[in-house]
Amino acid sequence: MFKKIAMLALVIVLLCAGIAFGQVFERSETLYTGGKQWGPVSNWNPLMTGNYATGTIGLVYETLFLYDPLTDKFMPWLAESGQWTDALTYELKVRQGVNWSDGKPLTADDVKFTFELGQKTALNFSSLWSWLSSITKVDDYTLGFKFKSALYQEWDNYLYNVPMLPQHLWASKDLKDVAIGANEKPVGSGPYLYFAYDQTKMVWAKNDNWWAIKALSLSVAPKYIVDLVNTSNENSLGLVLQGQEDLNNNYLPGISTLLTGGYALHTYYPVAPYHLAANTAWLDVNLQKKPMDDVAFRKALAYSINVADIVSRDYGNMVQAANPTGLLPIWDKYVDQNVVKKLGISYDPAKAKQILAAAGYKDVNGDGFVENKDKSLITLKIIVPNGWSDWMAAIQIISNSTKAVGINVQPDYPDFNGYLDARLKGTFDLAIDNQAQVSNTPWSYYHFIFYDKLADIPTTQGGNYGRYNNQTAFDLVTQLDKLATNDLQGMKAVISKLQTIQLTDLPIIPLWYNGMWAQMSSANWTNWPSSADKDNHYLPVTWNGYWNMTSILMLTQLKPVVAK
Amino acid sequence: MPQPKKKNEMLYFMLRNAKLRIGVAVLLIFVVLALVGPLLTKYQPRDYVAPGVEPPSSEFWFGTTSFGEDVFTQFVYGLRATFIVGLIGGGLGTLIGILIGFIAGYRGGIVDEILNMFTNIVLVIPSLVVLLIIAAYLEVRGFLFESIFIGFFAWPWAARAIRAQTFSLRSREFVDLARLSGMKPLKIIIKEIAPNMMSYLLLVYILQFGGAILTAATLDFIGLGPTNSVSLGLMMNNAVIYSALFLGMWWWFIPPGLAITAIVGALYVTNVGLDEVFNPKLREM
Amino acid sequence: MRRYFGRKLLIYIFTFVLAVTIDWLIPRFMPGNPIQILISRAGLKAESANLIYSYYIQAFGLNVPIWQQYLNFWNALFHGDFGISIWLFPQPVIQIIMRAVPFDVLLLLPAILVSWFAGNKFGAYAARSKWLDNTISPLGYILTATPYMWLGIVLGWLFGIILRILPFSGAYSYAMMPSFSWAFVGSLLEHWILPFASLFLVMFGGWAIGMRNMIIYELEADYSHYLEALGAPKKLIRQYAFRNAILPQITGLALQLGVIVAGALVTEIVFSYPGIGYLILQAIQNHDYFLLQGCFLFIIIGVLLANFAIDITYVLVDPRTRTGMQGEG
Repeated sequence: MFKKIAMLALVIVLLCAGIAFGQVFERSETLYTGGKQWGPVSNWNPLMTGNYATGTIGLVYETLFLYDPLTDKFMPWLAESGQWTDALTYELKVRQGVNWSDGKPLTADDVKFTFELGQKTALNFSSLWSWLSSITKVDDYTLGFKFKSALYQEWDNYLYNVPMLPQHLWASKDLKDVAIGANEKPVGSGPYLYFAYDQTKMVWAKNDNWWAIKALSLSVAPKYIVDLVNTSNENSLGLVLQGQEDLNNNYLPGISTLLTGGYALHTYYPVAPYHLAANTAWLDVNLQKKPMDDVAFRKALAYSINVADIVSRDYGNMVQAANPTGLLPIWDKYVDQNVVKKLGISYDPAKAKQILAAAGYKDVNGDGFVENKDKSLITLKIIVPNGWSDWMAAIQIISNSTKAVGINVQPDYPDFNGYLDARLKGTFDLAIDNQAQVSNTPWSYYHFIFYDKLADIPTTQGGNYGRYNNQTAFDLVTQLDKLATNDLQGMKAVISKLQTIQLTDLPIIPLWYNGMWAQMSSANWTNWPSSADKDNHYLPVTWNGYWNMTSILMLTQLKPVVAK
Repeated sequence: MPQPKKKNEMLYFMLRNAKLRIGVAVLLIFVVLALVGPLLTKYQPRDYVAPGVEPPSSEFWFGTTSFGEDVFTQFVYGLRATFIVGLIGGGLGTLIGILIGFIAGYRGGIVDEILNMFTNIVLVIPSLVVLLIIAAYLEVRGFLFESIFIGFFAWPWAARAIRAQTFSLRSREFVDLARLSGMKPLKIIIKEIAPNMMSYLLLVYILQFGGAILTAATLDFIGLGPTNSVSLGLMMNNAVIYSALFLGMWWWFIPPGLAITAIVGALYVTNVGLDEVFNPKLREM
Repeated sequence: MRRYFGRKLLIYIFTFVLAVTIDWLIPRFMPGNPIQILISRAGLKAESANLIYSYYIQAFGLNVPIWQQYLNFWNALFHGDFGISIWLFPQPVIQIIMRAVPFDVLLLLPAILVSWFAGNKFGAYAARSKWLDNTISPLGYILTATPYMWLGIVLGWLFGIILRILPFSGAYSYAMMPSFSWAFVGSLLEHWILPFASLFLVMFGGWAIGMRNMIIYELEADYSHYLEALGAPKKLIRQYAFRNAILPQITGLALQLGVIVAGALVTEIVFSYPGIGYLILQAIQNHDYFLLQGCFLFIIIGVLLANFAIDITYVLVDPRTRTGMQGEG
């Protein structure tokens, strides 16, 4: 009897103790995000691009500058200022008063150490060292970068992309750990700290000692940021509609119809195209295969694609058709309208048929499709990753529109790695590609189209999967890289030449602009970035590389909805 | 027993059996729909016919999908695909099951043990997992491949059932008689055992048919179905992917599942009805 | 008896070694090089890529000769080390699998057991009277003919989206971290109801129908009639019939239990329930061969155990099989 009572008492005590250990996040101080993390979190190493948890760079690790693509301006962040003191020397002043989350101060030593890591082992900014010769420490907060040759456009890119690492913690790591280690319990300088994770989410907690609170009078609103692991697009949609996810960066079909459905949904633009343009979706054409090696065929292909259909039917007008050069809207000023007028291509099936006929492609066997000049069948496959539903629908539309002019293109959906493999190895026929993102310079866009190290393509993801070979173009891209970033006229001149080459040879065919998918729920947080609000034009995106393109500032503008 | 009388007797009971009548009736409805349906619609499954997300109307009986395709058209073409896979997949499964089941049941001993272990292993391997791996590396997947694959993993059930039946038949008197009279084993199987199992084999086939349809629906739903056509499972897959659940498009995902339930259910009911007809002992309950 | 089990054990050991070897071969035979893909994502120059490649090769233990890799594999196996995942580098595979297994067990064990008991009970009832048969049987047929995912979709849609009384995805609330608290347990249960229900209903139908058919068969067997003729009470006859009918149901149960480790793939997809089935699908989609290898190992062990259980139940429960196995004549 006594034993039974004791057991019962023990159980009750344990249960009560158990109740005390439950962690539940207070809704009004927690921001739920989703859309970038497609698998459980396993990595917090900011040097492993593509693998680290959402926000590792941005919330925890920070960069020297922020870049605002909408205003084309750099904002000093961990750096206080930076300038070219002469053609080959860049002087960087590191901000004073910044501490790492373990209390130690951030100094020029940390910045120097970080960049020099790229020299010691293979990191994504290691190629910098082929044109950077040395870094000298002028004083505790000033560094001098001495270059062998100055690639101004590319350098600026590194300024807002390379994460600063604490030397006192990373110097003792062996190089293998630096390059591919998991970096558990990351220590950075940013506004958030590592808190917890499980297989469905990553939880960051606010850093009350963030430097920008004093230095820039900025304060991030959410106490916790919980980034949810994506299971599927439709699941994310459900969570957003029910107010369980506040910011979602997945592509969610049908969002435009739901904006008026009383779900407190918000997108950056209140009307079409609803989202900002993030990258250009274009058609990769494998120039190593027949008949894609014939520029006339490529032209006909370009004229035959009904992009308007893709924009309206597939995307419900959530994207825009690309201009013929494919340059993103933020680079409108670089589009040479004369070149576009002369060489630009748009949907014109009659013209496509004309070009095919003139080039000698005829339907010899009466199956409705044209054949090669040597009478062999043309059966092309266009690939996109399986599960990317919007692209899957897009290539069906493409297949139908090319069919109408007589080109046989069949849609296929290998899984993502198979698709990647085919592009890298050059075994594909046609593929949709959108790797070139918004960035500080159109040089990155053209570097991607005209990537010149053809032999390296299988191991890098440099671009030019169609293996277009044109030394003039390659040289122009290098020339562009060397231009000063404020030399607008010079850049325009070179870019105009590149556009002429691109529109004459059609190594790739620009189709539409993929959006910065961002669905925001105003059920628990308001004051989201919006085209209407002139003070809040920050990017509402949690993808890698976007936090340092002002998404971090979005967090400073948010306000919790106070329950009445 | 003289043959004609038996046949008439069979027919008589078939017509009287309620379960059989209902099952076959439901099946017939869907078969007719599958055959005639595509003639009723002037569209192809993937054609854009109207603005998307339209509920059922007099023009589009089952409404439209997110992309403006006619759901009814997809439905009737999908029915066809579903039936074909059931036919071929179920058939293959039954065939292999017959082969292995007969041999194991008749020979017994070490042969039976080995076949038994083999059957158990195939039975227990999660076929879905194996298919996931194979299908992930196939460039193009068609209905034939799906049917064959289903057949290769569905036979254990048939094999076990047939083996058990063969076992019990083998120990019957007429088989002993045949053996005593010196008949060769193969001949015994063909002349004595098989005819008595005809009806049983039919029942097995019906079950395999139903099972194949369910398996195909599952494969299609996961996204491992044929890459370029329509089936009921694919309809459900697409409906889910394109958020039909949250957009309230019940007309897209309810009909396909309902159809499969009805068809497979009808098959099972028919199976039981036939069982009662063939097996006089079960007739009066 | 001993010789019988001895022989069986030998066969099992042999099968285990064979299966594990095949499992080890899986990553080495599959097309594509996942490490290469892992690297290409980092966008490095060719020389840099080679260096990183060498790091990864080291991390995965692929820098030793093949026969040594095989031996290392067995060694690691006995230490419970199933290797490192590629997709979720550098987490150990065993950690990833063990995170998923509890959810599968939580979902499938009750679903299988409860549906088995309930299904058999109802199936037995159905065999009692015509009236019961005409109500229970059609229900059973419809349920067992229902595709799992469709039932899951409909339930999720009804209760999660239309009525909004139950969550439609996840294993527990997104606002909670796993802990030993009532709140967490409550959330776990709340998220468990719909997936459990969809599995239970379909399985229930299957067992019920199976049991009903078996009992009817048994009730029409000679011995039943004989007992009836002797004047035995109906209850006694039913008891005997039940005991004979339950045999194949037990084997069915052992089968189902053995495959728990493979998860309920479709249900997990519909409800985003983090079980092994979903893990396997993702491992394949992400070409994570080592994770796949680990999951397969789990399944192999489960399969063999289930197999063994089937064999034992057959022998223990049905004496007829023992004689049947001794061959012709």
